Parts: sequence; C-alpha cells; structure tokens
Amino acid sequence: MKKFLSMLLTFAMAFSIAACGEENETEYDENAITIMGKKSDLAKSYMTNIFEHYKKSTGKNINIISIEDSDYEIEAERRFSEGDIPDIFMHFNNADLNRFDVENNFVYLNDESWVEDLTDGARSYCMDSDGHLIGLPYWESSVSGCYYNKTLLDSLGLNPAATQAEFDALCQALSEIGYTPICWPADGCSWMMQFGLDPVFADDPSMLQRINNNEIKYSDIPQVESMIRWISDAEVKGWFGDKYLETGMEDISSVLSSGEAAMVFIWDTWFYTDFKSGGKYNVDDFALMPVFMNTVDGGTYEGGNLNMMMVNKNSEKKEDALDFLEFCATKENYNVAFDGISTVSCFKGQTTNIQSKMVTDASASIAVHERVSTAATRVIGYSADEVASALNKLFKKEINVSECIDLMDEYRLKEAQAQGIEGF
Amino acid sequence: MKKWVGKILLSLLICVICAVTVVIVMLYFNFISSKIYEDSTGHLKEIYAQVNRSFGAFVERNWGLIDGWSRYVAVIDSKDTSDTEIADFIKEEKKYWGFSDFYFLSSDNRSISIYGDENALNLDEVCRCLSEQNGPVMAGAKLSAGQDVTIFAVPVEHGEYKDFDYDAIAVSYTNEDIVKSLNVNAFSGEALCFVIHNDGKVLLSTQTGGNVYNNYLTYLDAASDISDEKLKQIKRDWNSGEYGLLQCNIGNTDYCIMYQPVGYQDYIMLSVVPQSVISAGLINVQNTTTGVLIAIFLLVGITVVSIVIVRSYKQSRKNKMELQYRELMFDVLSNSVDDIFIMLDRESIGVDYISPNIERLIGISAKEARKDIRVMEKCAVNFDVVIPEEELAEIPPDGNKSWECEYVHQKTGERRWYKMTVYNMSIQTLGKYIIVLSDRTLDRQMNKQLEEALTAARSANEAKSNFLSNMSHDIRTPMNAIVGFSVLLERDADHAEKVREYTRKITASSHYLLSLINDILDMNKIESGKTSLNVDTFSLPELLEELNIILMPQVKAKQQEFRMHVTGAPPEQIIGDKLRLNQILINLLSNAIKYTPNGGKITFDVSVITPSSGQYVKLKFVVEDNGIGISDEFKEHIFAPFSREISSVTNKIQGTGLGMAITKNLVDLMGGIIEVESEIGKGSKFTVELTFARPDNEESDSWFKNNIARMLVADDEEQVCINVRELMKEAGVEVAVATSGAQAVSATMEAHESGKDFDVILLDLKMPEMDGIETARKIREKVGAYVPILVLTSNDWTEIEDDARQAGIDAFMAKPFFVSSFRHTIKPLFYDSTINDNKDNREDEPKDKSEAQDEGVMEGKLFLIVEDNEINSEILTEMLKIEGADSELAVNGREAVEMFKKSEPGHYDMILMDVQMPVMNGYEATRQIRTCEHPEAKTIPIVAMTANTFAEDVRDALESGMNGHLGKPIDMKAVRELVGKLLGKNTQ
Repeated sequence: MKKFLSMLLTFAMAFSIAACGEENETEYDENAITIMGKKSDLAKSYMTNIFEHYKKSTGKNINIISIEDSDYEIEAERRFSEGDIPDIFMHFNNADLNRFDVENNFVYLNDESWVEDLTDGARSYCMDSDGHLIGLPYWESSVSGCYYNKTLLDSLGLNPAATQAEFDALCQALSEIGYTPICWPADGCSWMMQFGLDPVFADDPSMLQRINNNEIKYSDIPQVESMIRWISDAEVKGWFGDKYLETGMEDISSVLSSGEAAMVFIWDTWFYTDFKSGGKYNVDDFALMPVFMNTVDGGTYEGGNLNMMMVNKNSEKKEDALDFLEFCATKENYNVAFDGISTVSCFKGQTTNIQSKMVTDASASIAVHERVSTAATRVIGYSADEVASALNKLFKKEINVSECIDLMDEYRLKEAQAQGIEGF
Repeated sequence: MKKWVGKILLSLLICVICAVTVVIVMLYFNFISSKIYEDSTGHLKEIYAQVNRSFGAFVERNWGLIDGWSRYVAVIDSKDTSDTEIADFIKEEKKYWGFSDFYFLSSDNRSISIYGDENALNLDEVCRCLSEQNGPVMAGAKLSAGQDVTIFAVPVEHGEYKDFDYDAIAVSYTNEDIVKSLNVNAFSGEALCFVIHNDGKVLLSTQTGGNVYNNYLTYLDAASDISDEKLKQIKRDWNSGEYGLLQCNIGNTDYCIMYQPVGYQDYIMLSVVPQSVISAGLINVQNTTTGVLIAIFLLVGITVVSIVIVRSYKQSRKNKMELQYRELMFDVLSNSVDDIFIMLDRESIGVDYISPNIERLIGISAKEARKDIRVMEKCAVNFDVVIPEEELAEIPPDGNKSWECEYVHQKTGERRWYKMTVYNMSIQTLGKYIIVLSDRTLDRQMNKQLEEALTAARSANEAKSNFLSNMSHDIRTPMNAIVGFSVLLERDADHAEKVREYTRKITASSHYLLSLINDILDMNKIESGKTSLNVDTFSLPELLEELNIILMPQVKAKQQEFRMHVTGAPPEQIIGDKLRLNQILINLLSNAIKYTPNGGKITFDVSVITPSSGQYVKLKFVVEDNGIGISDEFKEHIFAPFSREISSVTNKIQGTGLGMAITKNLVDLMGGIIEVESEIGKGSKFTVELTFARPDNEESDSWFKNNIARMLVADDEEQVCINVRELMKEAGVEVAVATSGAQAVSATMEAHESGKDFDVILLDLKMPEMDGIETARKIREKVGAYVPILVLTSNDWTEIEDDARQAGIDAFMAKPFFVSSFRHTIKPLFYDSTINDNKDNREDEPKDKSEAQDEGVMEGKLFLIVEDNEINSEILTEMLKIEGADSELAVNGREAVEMFKKSEPGHYDMILMDVQMPVMNGYEATRQIRTCEHPEAKTIPIVAMTANTFAEDVRDALESGMNGHLGKPIDMKAVRELVGKLLGKNTQ
C-alpha cells in the first residue's frame, strides 16, 4: 500500500512540475526559428495572427516556446544561464531585462529598415540607455494621462489645463463648485505616482543612472519632494474627495460616470475594457489632457509598455529571426495582425487598429508631452504598491512628507536588495 | 438685606453699562463698515475703470497700429521685394510692440504668418467678428498647443502675401502679455480681472497660469450662490452694457463682482475681488476699535481684578498667617501635653491635621501618619484597626464616642494607654472627624498601683490575721504546756519522777517556744532588710560533716536512709556565710526528715555547676526525699511566711511555717535561687544554687610527698567510686574501682602480684555478700598489714569499731568522701605507722576531755552579772551557784563600769554583760571598761549575754570589746564551754 501511495505521489509531483514548465504547442522544427514568450502574451490575437500570416506567406514554420506567466522569469533566466537561448525572446523593456545581459545576447536593431516606421514613442520605449534599439515593439499600447469629463467642464464654464498652475486652478474651481476634481483610487490602485515620476527620470537619464547606481535617493531629487508635497496639499484641499481611501479600481467607473469626480489619471484602453456607462456620462464625454503632478509644468503623458521581440545575436538562425522581425514590421503585415485591435499605433503606417478619439484629439499635446514609462520600468526597486503604501500613511497623517519620501526610499532599497542588485 | 439690594443694583448697573457699550460699538461698527464699504467699492470702481480705460487704450492702440501697418503693407505690396520688406517691417514692429504673432487673414478663415506658414489657429471667432463688425475686431483664439491668445484684427483691402490672398491683418497677444500690459496689481494681487463677452465667454483673465474659465457666466451659475433671477439680471446688464456690482459666495468665499462694458464688441470688464480683501480696511478698523475697546475693558478689568487680587491676597495672607499662628500655637500646645490631636476627612479618612507630638508619644512621625493614618496600627496593642470606620460612621453628627486603647512606642517600646475620643463635626459643610488621644497611662498606673496596694494591704491584713492566729496558736501551745506543767510541778513537787518528767516537758516546750521566737525574729529581721551576711572562709567538708552530725540523730530516730553525695570536685575552702548556709541546708534537710515517714529515704547531693577552677564556684545543693510531698497549690506559696500545708499529716508535725520563708530569703540574700519540685505522696526535691568566692591560696596537696599514687575504692554504689576517682584525679592519684568486696580483694591481689600494690584501700562498710570488715580481713590475709585500709561509711561506726580494727581497718571516714577529710584521716597513718592502734582514742579524747574540763571550769569563779531584768539575773545567779560560782549584780552598764573600776585586780574572773539596758547599754559599758585605767581593763573577759542573737549582734559585741557572745535563754552547756575557753586561754 505504501509503495502504491509513493508511486502515486511521484506521478503527481512529476505532473505538477511538468505543468509548471514549458508547453510546446507545435512539433519542433529544427529548421524553424524559435520564439519564447509568456503563455498569455503569445496567445494574444495579434500574435497568433502574425504567426499564422508568416507561416502562410513564407511557408516557414515557427517553434513557439510558451511558458506559464508565473514561471517565465525564472525559466528564462535558467535557459539563459545554460546557454539555451531562443532565436527570438519576448520581454518588456523594464528593469527585469537587465538580468538577461542585453548587450551580449541580443542584436541592436537601429539599422533595420523598419525602424523609421516606428512612432517616436514606440521607438523610444525600445531603446536602451545608450540609444540602442534592442527590440521590435509588437504589442497593443495605450496612453496614460489625465482623462477629464469634457462635457462636465464645459457645462461649468471651465477649460482643461495646459499648465500645472491651470490644473491647480481648475481643481480649485471644481472643488468650489462642489465636484471632486480628481478620482484618486487609493485602495489598491498604485499606478498614478509613476506618471508624475516619469518626467523626472525620462527627461534626465543621468538621474535614472545615478539612482540605479544607488548614488542618490528620492530624497535627493527635488521633483520627488515637489510631487509628494503637491499630492499631500491636494489631499488636504479635498481635491481627492472624502472617500478616496476606500476607493479602488472597481469604483473608478461609477465615480466618473456619475460625474462625482471630473478627472482621473489612467490610460485610454481602460475606458474600453473597464468603464461602465451606467451613469450620467459615457466614454464620449471624456477627453485627455496631460497628468499634472507638479514635477513638470506642462504635464506629462506616459506611453504604453510594449512587449518586444529581441533577436539572439549568437543564434545560428539570427538572419531568419531578423527576417521574421522585418516581416512583422512590414505595413501590410502589421495591419493584418492588428486589424480591429484597440491600441495606440506603434507604427506610423498602422491603419487597421482602433485608436480612441480621446487620444486622437489630444495627439498634438501627446506628441509634445508624452514620455516613455520610465519610473516603474527602469528605476531599480521601484514598487508601485510600496509607493502607494507610503502615500497612504501620509494621507492618514502617520508620517509627514519627508518621512514619506524616506519610506519610499526604504522600500525601494529593500526591493533592490531582495533582487540581489549589486550596489544596494 | 440692604447689602444684597446694593449688590443687585450694582450688578444691574454694570449690565446696563455693558449693554449700552455693546450697542454703541455695534452702531459704530455699522457706520464704519458701511462707510468703508462704500469707500472700498468706490475704490474698486475707480481701479477697474482705470483698468478698463487702459485695456481700451491697448485695444485702440493695436487697432491703430494694425491700421497703420495695413496701409504700409498695401504700399509695399506693389513692390517686387514686398514680402521680404513686409517681413522685416513686421519683425521690427513685433520687437517694438511685443505682440506674439502677426497674421494675414483670408476671407475663408485661413491665415498665414509672416513666414508664410499656414497656422493651425482656430480663427472662426475672429472671422465671424470681422464679418459682423466690418471693422477692427478683438477675439479669442487657441494655439495648436492649447495656449489661449487674443487676436486684434483689422479688415484691409485685398492683398497678397507670399501667394496668400488676404483681406485682413491681425496681431495676437498671449493672455499673459496682455495682463502684464494692464498692470492690475490692486488688492494685493488677490483680485481677478476678466474680459468676457456678454454671453460669458472669457476672452482673457488675470488668472495666474492661464485661463481656466471658458465661460464665467456658466461658472457663476455652477459655483456661486447667485440666484437664477440675479443671473438673468446680470445677463441683461451685460447685454445692455450696464455697469453692475454684486456680492456672492463661491466655494465658501464671499466675493464682490463688478462689471462694466469695455466699449468694444459687447465685451465686459469683470473684476472679482474677495470680500475679505475689500473689507480689509474695515476689518482693520474693526480690529483696531475692538482692540482699543478690549484694551480699555482689559485695563479696567485688570485694575479691578488687581485690586480684588491684592485685597484678597492681603486677606488671604492675613488668614494664612493667622492659620499658621494658630497651627504653631496648637503645635506648641500639643507638644507640651500628652494628648494627640488628629483631624480626618470624613469621606476619604485622609489626615487634615495631626499634632506633631505623635512622634514623641508613640514614635511615629507626623509626616508618616499624615500619609496614612493606618500606620498607627503597627503601634496598636490587642486591636487591629486604629480607625474603625464602621464605628465612626455610627457617631451621630456633633456626637462623639470614646475608646480606650494601648499603644507601643515604636522607638522605646514603652506601652502607653490612651483614651481615644472621636468627635463627628462639620466644618464649613465639610465632614470631619476630630480625634483626641488622651494619655491615660499615669491614671492606669495609679489605678493599678492602688489596686496592687489594696491587694497587698488585704494580703498583709490577711497575713497579719493569719500570723496572729498562728502565733496565738503556736505560742499558746507550748506556753500552755509550760504553764500547765508548772502547775503540775507545784502540785507534784514531792514526786521526783513526776518532777523530772514535768521539768523535761517544760524544757522541751520552752525550747520550742524559743525556736519559734527565734524564727519570728529572724524572719522579721530578714524582711526588714536588716540582715547582713557574715562572710568568711570556711571548709565545705566541715560544714557537710557538721550537717551530718547534726542530722544523723533525727535520721536514726526515724530509721530513715540518708545519703549524702558530692560530685564535681567542689573546692574545699569557700568564702561565704557558713552560718546562713548551714541554716538553709538544715532547714531543708530538717523538713525532709520531718516530712518523710519512718524508714523513708533522703538524699543530699552537692555538685558543682560551674567549674571550680576560677575565682568563683557555683554549687548546687539538692535535698530529695520520698516523703509526703507538697500539693501544687501549696507549692505556689511555700516560701510565703507562715505558710504550712494543712493535711492530716502536717497537722501532727510541729512547725511555725517560717522555715521555708527564712530559707528563701536567705538564698535571695546570698544571690542564689531555690526551686521546689514535688508530688503528693511521692516526695519533694529542693534545689538551691549558690555562688561562692574561692580563697586565693588553697592548701596544696601533698599526695606525692606521701607516695600515694594508686589507691583502690570499693563501694557497691558505683557513683561513690566515680566521685572518689574524680576528686582524686585532680590530686593526681590513680583510683581503681571495685563494686564489691570480692572485686576489691581480687584487685588487691592482682596489684600485689604485679608488684604494684595500692598505696591506700578505701572500703564501704556495707556491701552485699562481703561487707567492708570482711573484705579488709581477706585483704589482710592476702597482702599483709602494710597497706592502709580505711572504711567509708554513712553509718555510725562506734558499734563495729572494735571488730573493724581487729579485721585490719586502720581508720574510719564519714561519707561523703572529701579529699580534705581523706587527707586528714590518712595523714597520721603515713607519719606514724603506730597511730593506727590508738588513733581513734586520740580523736575521741578532746571531746571527753573538753567536756570534763568544762564541767568544773566555773567553780570558785566570781562573775559580775550586768542585767537589768531581775528574773534573768536571779536565774543566772542561781545557775552559776549550781556550777559552784559566785556572782555580783549590776543593774545597768554604768553601775557595772563603776563596780569594775572599784574592784581590785583579780576580783572578778569574768563579766557577763546584757546588751539592752537602761542608763548605759552593754556595748558602751564594755567600751568604757576596756578604756578605763583598771589594770585588767584590757584582759578581763566580757561575754555578751543577750537576747540579741543574730550575727551582727555577735559582731557588734566583739567590736565593742567583748570576748564572746551567749544568747538568751541561757544554755549552761554553752556557758560552760565559753567560760572554759576564755578562762583557760587567759590562764594560759
């Protein structure tokens, strides 16, 4: 009996280990290139579209290594350490990418023919700190900014803001009229602060380098202090309303559609995926202006986080892999892949995707004020949740502004140390 | 009553003054505020009228400039190089006038800059205005980056610039530039100024950071508290170009809004100023006025309050001083009495006051007691709660309650009684307990002393009654015999046998009566503290031997067994009052014999409690019998005078009941203790412990000189053997022990055969199986006659002496064994070996010889009897006659002195001197005789013959110069002995 149980347990364990590992959806073709990515990423319709379109158009096969999302980073790190690197590796351009030795493992793509067709935002996102284009962005994208109820503002005789001062005056006017100027979902929604911090690090790459070298801290950066103090003042003035601490992601829709709050810092695709037009206002009533968090006078937009396809520079099938990227970046092909997909364009020639009116109307402003997502993706140890946690302590008057910044630093350093980053 | 009415009137007056003051101040404020508001709004109007004029001038200037430029452009336009010149011209003008851009406008709402770039400007509004006005216009527009600008445009004749057909030219200014040029800095920059269209649309504003509002009317509708009716009125005013002023609230702030037409294209100049800014002046005045008023009121108030405070301070100080003075006085007073005063709060039982003498009286500091009054509980005796709260609660208001309690002084341990009286008082509505602890110790002590004195008096009275009763009985009994037998003697004088019998009984009764009187006198003397000890060196063995001799006849008479043991090697010579010690021991032993039935057993143990090697020795004397015993009740007062146990047995035994009292008093006098243990029917045990000094030089032993190194002692009582061994151990003599005669013989044989014969053999007379005589005989048979053999016995050896000597016994010794006795006994044996044969004879010789000598010692002698009592002198005379002596009589000391002085030398052989006599007592007479010039003054024997028989009497007699002392009644035997001694000595 014991022997039977032992065998049963062994099988169960083996099964569970196998389930955690890779999942090859197709038969391995030795002559075909290999693409490795997260299971959910590879399952996106535009990805499956392009794979199918490639196979049909070229008659070539593709070996797809699909890894469970939760195991992806560990499994990829294991393969890279063992030299088992796929021909094409999919990854976001964030701090985690540093562990895969980009310089020695991937091809710089600046000279590829399709580079000029990339939008500025998409191209900027895919570059490293030295200006090397390290991947082809192939992802649905969005623009994060301050989405405001244009209908409401018009009815109140108020203009959207173009400067921090105007934004503050707008908030004050809305507050005077009796509206909550900004929907600030403090309960579990932690993305807002990174919008304010993006200009700090995107506009001054040396700042990013120094903080990642642990030469400076948040407390050494004046803009960080400006941002936290502005948030603190805004909270004191009542610009977040009186229920913001209990407001979470699921509450944003009702707060905006009812007109209780006039503005929110979020991304456009949220309006097409999560917003419910159950109230007085619907998607068409909203427009986009920059996020103002007192770190840059003209405000800022955050560009989308894009999944990239990177080519193994040491692969025998490097050329085939580059050919595949070129196939993907060809206007006809990406319009096939992204046909009907709601996304901000990554390619200038993208015509079949669906771009929101809010983004389109603000495109002139976006062109001026958009920044690559930098704080959340490039600052080592940045944790949106920890920053939100520190801010909530500030809102609850448990700490003051400088203590809040110190706490943000403390969390960041701990996270960096937990990741084993050298120098922390 | 008048006082109250006065106070009410004064209060009313103050209220009226305050009310009037408030009304005046309010009226003043209203007047001032309306005046200031008028002034402020007038000021506001003036300022914004000026701003309006400035703006108008700015507009007019721009239109004028544009108009001028249009003409210049039209002139240049005809040239080939017109575009370049125009561009250069405009650049120069821009630099001078500060506009942001210059535009050529087409009729189809398009525009280009001087560089030929087509602008993304929304010029719909400008074009609409141009078409409507057909003249110079001013309109708002928004740059592609979202920035607001104001356009000033003037229609011109159709022209062409850089291939662009234009019909109007325009310049734009950013709103910031226009606001700067208006220079609106009134009201500390807190006022906003807008140029709006009459439909509310904002053209420009002085709002920092740009134009937040796109329609101020809509904003007012949403944000302000202006009613719809008022808004309609405002719209009407704006449409009709009316001036207006209104007040409203926006976001909890009151604003003053003034509007006036700009004068161009239905534009309105709108100024929005917070009321607080306008009213700043008023507020200042109000604040100042209020400040002044408050200052005045404060000044008056402070003055009044100061006066009140000073007066109350003075009063308080006075009260405090009085209180301190009272407290000081009370402290001083309480310190001088033995009463403790405490004041407690009724609710909390906290101490409000406690007199400082508490520390002196019960040893607890006032500070400590003030913290918690319960601290006194540690001083309490026989009660746990010092402040019984339940009992306190039962005291009615203004009532009191008292207890008596005892406290122990915490420092001295002294116990004192206090009467605690608690008063339940109300002092200024506050409930207080006032506690007074009055010292009653002296009263208690006095009462106790009185009780004790009363008890003592009762006891004394009872004792006196008992004494008299006892005396009456005890004295009358022998007296009855004496009187009775005297009568019988007279009646039966002819019957010699009866006369001797009656005389013997009269003598016996007389002796008893005498002893009774002696005891009474002795007791009286001891109790009155007149007794003193006659301390001298004496021999303890001698004393014990004498005791043995004295008591043995009584023991024999009652066929009792009497054993005397000495343990612990007491010193032989000790310093003390031999007479008194003798008296103590005789009393105890006599009682033991007396109260032990015939055939009973009495033991007398003498032992050493503390080592005898020091300067002092403590001895324990234990007299134990198996007699009738003493009841527990009687034991308690056995040492009280005249105490005798009443029982069928004791009633038959003669006694005064003074013996034990005298014994106890003598023991006390000697610093010792006496204890009694007894049980009815089983016997009694008296223990006496006394300490004696030791003389400096005791006689050193000479055992080694006499070659006595080994001896044998044989006694069936092993303890006796052990005692002998211990006693001789100090002397360095080895003692072998045998507990039977046979063992003694055997031991002697063994010693003899080993060549180590004993130097002396000591045998108990009465040993089972083989007695001492038989043992001696056997020893003599075995070892010969050269070893001295002594018999140690507690019995009289007279009857067996001959047999013993024949058996080979050399000498006899009485038990208990004493080294000195032993030494004296064996000394002749070693110095003169022949002494054995006649030693006993020699020992007996002095006794017989003395008695023989004494019997004729007074014969032919002449005594001077000095006696005031005729009977006594007669008795003595007759008795001396019986002894063959003559006498002469002197009735007092003086007469005796005179008779002696007149006598011839050798006339008197001795003077028998009474002590207590009239005219001159015996001591004085003796002193005078000794100091007179008679040749025999120094040598004539003078003997006191007195009823004063105590030791001090003897001492006084000797000190006065007498040679001896004889007590009354006269014992002729003693007289004979003393006379023999004195006259014999004198004759030698």
